[in-house]
Amino acid sequence: MNDFLQMLEVLCDAQVSFVVIGGAAAAAHGSTYPTYDLDICYERDRDNLERLAKALAPFHPRLRDVPDDLPFHLDAGALEQGMNFTLTTDIGEIDLFGEVAGIGGYKETSALSDPVDLFGLRCAVLSLEGLIRCKRATARPKDLLVLPELEALREMETPGQAKP
Amino acid sequence: MIAGEPMDKMRRGELIRLVTSPLAGSKIAAAKEFGIDLTLLVRMLELTPTERLQKLASAQAFFQALRAAKKTSTHE
Repeated sequence: MNDFLQMLEVLCDAQVSFVVIGGAAAAAHGSTYPTYDLDICYERDRDNLERLAKALAPFHPRLRDVPDDLPFHLDAGALEQGMNFTLTTDIGEIDLFGEVAGIGGYKETSALSDPVDLFGLRCAVLSLEGLIRCKRATARPKDLLVLPELEALREMETPGQAKP
Repeated sequence: MIAGEPMDKMRRGELIRLVTSPLAGSKIAAAKEFGIDLTLLVRMLELTPTERLQKLASAQAFFQALRAAKKTSTHE
């Protein structure tokens, strides 16, 4: 099971620049769809890559999409070589996105995020507007499935502005 | 709403009215038509973002326990 609190603590303590995106962000906004991993968009400057790799190292991150016997070591260099990583760690699954579909990199994603108190930690969480934009861009059946709920939640955020 | 402040009675009443009688052509009406339980969304919005993630973690634990039970019963 994912320990969202521990993961967020680890990232915040290490001062990693990141935005919570995906299902956990949707859940923070009130979505009822379950998710099993924490998705984040991370800043790709060298210092942040160092902080991110160092923060996750104690939890033995390994790639979910390669066989276990393939050697993999998550460090700043490895992060620099790729963009998006699907990882399993001792504290749960975490997906790292250097770019978010329909939005762009960390800078653009951060600009579309809201500061949210999660477990007493101040985290940047992708806004409903951002989530909707991302789901529309990705447009897989599973993304399109959650769109009506996200759009309803956005309308419920500002009921006075609900329009046909 | 995401800032985590508790929802007051007036706001809750407003949302309940909105989801029980959504404006024709609105996204809320479309979600209702799609089959989404809008009252569950109101319930979620009554919680703080942290409480929503805790609920998600509880659901994960429940599904994991169900899967484990199914595996055990399959192997018996």
